[in-house]
Amino acid sequence: MKITRFNPSLNLGRVADFDQWLRNPFAAFPLMGQLLGDFAPAFTSGRPATDVHEDKDNYYACFELPGVKKEDLKVEIHDRLLNVSAERKEKNGEQESSLTLCRSISVPEGVNAEGISARLEDGILVVTLPKQEHRKPKLIEIA
Amino acid sequence: MTTTLEKPARAEADENLLKPLYRINGNEHAYEVRVELPGVPKSGVSIDLEDNILTIRGKRAAGVPDGWKTLHSEIPALDFLLRLRLNTPVDEESLKAVVENGVLSVHLPVKEAARPRRIEIQ
Repeated sequence: MKITRFNPSLNLGRVADFDQWLRNPFAAFPLMGQLLGDFAPAFTSGRPATDVHEDKDNYYACFELPGVKKEDLKVEIHDRLLNVSAERKEKNGEQESSLTLCRSISVPEGVNAEGISARLEDGILVVTLPKQEHRKPKLIEIA
Repeated sequence: MTTTLEKPARAEADENLLKPLYRINGNEHAYEVRVELPGVPKSGVSIDLEDNILTIRGKRAAGVPDGWKTLHSEIPALDFLLRLRLNTPVDEESLKAVVENGVLSVHLPVKEAARPRRIEIQ
């Protein structure tokens, strides 16, 4: 194993890297990251980054789940809580490792639970939560 | 064993790019670089190997659609760039790459001449 000098000024100078540091505190320490990698899959955190958007018809919850297969993903809604849990399995030669990712977000009132749909594409899960009719903005006709 | 891949060859000047999370596994025959590129379709990935520097770029699919209002945001809307300097010669011809579920795997076979040889003791 070769030891390289750690130079924090190279790694922690940018906002983007700081953000990354929050997601993976060991990213700036490649050697440590690699050593830990021998024991645990440390390169993604167990709490996926999440965005929430809305338009007039739906709410959209997006989760970053790189490396997760559709069959290893579970999306549930329970008491206005949207739970996403996933298992990421990885093969390194003969070794197999797995990492559990999960995240819960509370869903705004007035979501039609029956109409919720989800799609996984390129490592991003998008859950579409339709708004109930009475929650949608109404255009008022001017007489 | 020495690590084949080191930190990026130089500090990145491009401000609006994110360094993806990545991991390297390998043995004496080949190295496997796995790079997390969530939101990047296969068509958005480019890989270059020049002067022993492996450059991986990932361009995210179009951002938030028109008409969507963002209520909460944690996923950065930045494209990805990763540069790794290889300190072991690799066989460029048989370099293979696969993108699956937002993870790029690059298979880098070590050049025959650079593999360790076992010497039989007479």
